[in-house]
Amino acid sequence: MEPTEYSERNERTVVSATQPPRRPIPLLAIVLLALMVHGPLLMMQLPSGSFDANFHMFFASHYAHHWFDPWNLKWFGGFSQTTYPPLTHQWIALLSYIVGLKMGYMLVQLIGIMLLPVGVYRFARIWVDDRAASYAAVGCVFLGSLTFLTYQAGQLATVCSAALYLNALPYFYEWMTESSVRSLIKGIAVSLTAAAAHHVTLIFGALLFAVPVLWTALVDAHDERVAGSVGGVISRAAIFAVAVGAGVGLVLMPYWVALIQHPIHQIPIPHDSRANFLLNSTTAINYFLIPYGLLIVALPFIVIRGASSRRLIPLLMGFWVTFIFGLGGTTPLPRWLLGRAYEILTFERFTFWATLLTLPIVGLLAADLIDRFRVKAAVGLALAAVFTFGAAMFWLSENPFRAAFTQINVAPVDAFLNRDGHDAYRYVLLGFGSELARVSIGTTASSVDGDYNSARLLPEMTNYGSAQLTNSKFYGSAGMASLRAMLEHANRYGLKYIFVHDAYYEPLLTFVGWRKIETFDNGAVTVWSKDDVPPAHPIQSDAMPTAFQGVLWGTLPIGVSFLAIILEFLLPNPRRVSGAVRATVRAEHSVA
Amino acid sequence: MKFILPIILAIATVVLIGVAFVASGTVVGKTVGIEAGSAMYGLTPKASTPDQALTNLLVDVKRRNWDQAYGEISNPQVATKQQFIQAWTGSYGSLRTFSALEGFELRPMHITNDAAQMRVRLHWTTPIGPLEDVRDFHLAKVGDIWKTVWSKTDVPNVPSQVIPVTYLRWDLVSAAGDDEWGAKNIDAPHVRIISMNPLDFAEGAVVLGEVVNEDTIPAFVNVTATLVDGSGKEIDEETSFDKIDHILLPKQVTPYRIDFPKVNLKNVKNVRMNVKATLVPASADPVIGVMNQKVDPDYQGKSVLRGDLLNESGQTVNIPHVIASLYDNNGKVIWVADGYVEHSLLPQTAAPFEIEIPKNMVPKVSNFHVVVNQYSMGRN
Repeated sequence: MEPTEYSERNERTVVSATQPPRRPIPLLAIVLLALMVHGPLLMMQLPSGSFDANFHMFFASHYAHHWFDPWNLKWFGGFSQTTYPPLTHQWIALLSYIVGLKMGYMLVQLIGIMLLPVGVYRFARIWVDDRAASYAAVGCVFLGSLTFLTYQAGQLATVCSAALYLNALPYFYEWMTESSVRSLIKGIAVSLTAAAAHHVTLIFGALLFAVPVLWTALVDAHDERVAGSVGGVISRAAIFAVAVGAGVGLVLMPYWVALIQHPIHQIPIPHDSRANFLLNSTTAINYFLIPYGLLIVALPFIVIRGASSRRLIPLLMGFWVTFIFGLGGTTPLPRWLLGRAYEILTFERFTFWATLLTLPIVGLLAADLIDRFRVKAAVGLALAAVFTFGAAMFWLSENPFRAAFTQINVAPVDAFLNRDGHDAYRYVLLGFGSELARVSIGTTASSVDGDYNSARLLPEMTNYGSAQLTNSKFYGSAGMASLRAMLEHANRYGLKYIFVHDAYYEPLLTFVGWRKIETFDNGAVTVWSKDDVPPAHPIQSDAMPTAFQGVLWGTLPIGVSFLAIILEFLLPNPRRVSGAVRATVRAEHSVA
Repeated sequence: MKFILPIILAIATVVLIGVAFVASGTVVGKTVGIEAGSAMYGLTPKASTPDQALTNLLVDVKRRNWDQAYGEISNPQVATKQQFIQAWTGSYGSLRTFSALEGFELRPMHITNDAAQMRVRLHWTTPIGPLEDVRDFHLAKVGDIWKTVWSKTDVPNVPSQVIPVTYLRWDLVSAAGDDEWGAKNIDAPHVRIISMNPLDFAEGAVVLGEVVNEDTIPAFVNVTATLVDGSGKEIDEETSFDKIDHILLPKQVTPYRIDFPKVNLKNVKNVRMNVKATLVPASADPVIGVMNQKVDPDYQGKSVLRGDLLNESGQTVNIPHVIASLYDNNGKVIWVADGYVEHSLLPQTAAPFEIEIPKNMVPKVSNFHVVVNQYSMGRN
């Protein structure tokens, strides 16, 4: 993006023709590498089988049809989509008019992945030189945690939001240390865009990423490596925080209203990322080995290298705290610090953030190794990156978490619901896993179930420690009690049809008075019905956003994303003269 | 700083992991979505006490780590691994085959230097709700560790035989393309509530009684009760759910019970009852006989209605459901209790059943009537 910068760096770093190349890898090449690695996988729609992909497409589908009305009747008898920041969904909705929902999802995911190396590169440059930063950016393309989140978990918003935050933080640093108004404006715009993409990243990720940056700016100001004073850095950080806070308050106003109106009081839902990984090998593989891959081998060196430089210590500490959080229940720290929020959060995203935070130091290590072992190191590092990526891809098909839910033909289910007035009643799917959202996209009927825990308000769901009704059995007695409670109130909710893709539920349905009426797909799916259920009527809810909130929701989040794009073009970065900071850092590292 | 900080971070990490490990007691909750996964090598506590030995076994059963669980019994010669697994997972599509061990509580009964007897309350999750099971285990000291002595379980073996079928069956011809079940365009079967008794119970109220099908055709029955307060306002409406035999053959009687949690009868002025009946196809098969019924105390001192179910038909009944009306001296229904039988009923075989009776009802019970509902795979 800033070619002159590289030239200057190259002139200063190339020592002789006999040494390995010391030029940074051009950022454009790294972005193309990301495109080359992830583009084909996304065009093959590999993430469409991930856990959350259908959920994101479902939300996007609603925006595509009702842009300014976030009240969605298809789940939980009606819920507000203002409970989840809308940016990625609205972008999918916009793209869906041209390429369809699924490809729209893939394109937004691809944009997020291509923004990530740019963000990692720019973020890493706060601490390391261009060459190490470019290695860090290459490393992020092959991260096991990125592969895990993209292809297995389907955490589109987490990836996009993290990529945006990484792009915003260098502006934050520049504003604090150089008083650059241009950086302030762009930093705020990109930060708001990131917040509009994902709330959890906003609340926790921003802190874990921004504090090391602030700390580093203070260290630099204290050591007079930058123009600003310590007091100036603090005051400018406060201005940035206040501006971003106010902006987030405004851009996501309907979200905050919904959260204040209905705080999450539901019974905690168990999640494997909160397990003690030492006591369960499967969760250890899924949430630790696969996301970190061969980075695990480098962890001791990362810590030693990070501790060797005063400037890197903030980054190291940020990484360590995030690393500990990513271990979920393997340590008590997250529970101690988060309190009740511990039971609401899932912790795989912390592992993703930890791997991102470690990349600048990994870039330094890679540069050192290549300097020392030349081609052997380059080949070794490349193999390690490919192995880490490959292991996560292998785990995608071998992990025991997803096998049960693949390949359900949902077309007959939608066809049934959409004919003969069946959509006048509500329905539930049992044993459909994340396919629940795919069914919901294709039908006009409404369900009392849904695949977004934070939006649930029906007591039959919030009073039990289980998530979706369709996955009831996986939550043991709590899950089955929730399902029983819902079945007991079938008449109240107009729940007349149950689609079963798991014979486990048949005894219960039989004993409580439901009867099989139809069979689809060679018996893979059966339809059960109950006599005397009245047609569904709207469920009164105070969670319904006002029309004004709908307008805000439909304009501000997408608006700030356009604003950020425009500002990137209107306020380009000035050509950077190689500054004292990076020279000093490199000198420190050479000593180290 | 280069080495001090890494050492501090390493120590802090190890300490935090250690604290979590000790606090967890090495017993983990059920893994959502999957059945496998074991503790890292070397982190399973040594079975140096009977409690720990049995805990290790039950944790492995919970996780379905059958190899390890089988390795924790002292006498593998009494059962093959397959028989051992089947003893835990059930057979013939019984309720146990749908169940998963969710938790357990141990209580030592008798311990010597080299032998122990433990009583375990096993908590199972099943499709029809949580079930509890109490089992006694013997343990023996083998070298310096304890192991569970496995008791051989006999799987019923039904001899080959021909069973003539003479039961009644009612078929129903529906209009083509009709997605509904039951007949809507034929007069509904004549069904009547023959008794209704509202009671305060535990932290709520219940409405119970009996329904009879007075018609000559089978009926699908559902009973709804609406509680109304003094001002005529509805307090709550609930249905009989699974506390009823929904399909009634001609002249058949079923108990029903409708639970209203968190409702106090003091606030109820009126109870509106509604019984809905639909003509459905039905069959008298499988015929399940109820024998040897009696009220007895169980091993915990609780009163239970126990007896045997005999499957008189030629097909397996996978999950029997027993519902009993309990009467006082005046013939009034004072309670409706129910329970599921975790073993399947093979043709021409009997299996025991047990239903708990609330303590305060026991002195009033003078008679009872038991009906058996059932789930049979592929036939419901």
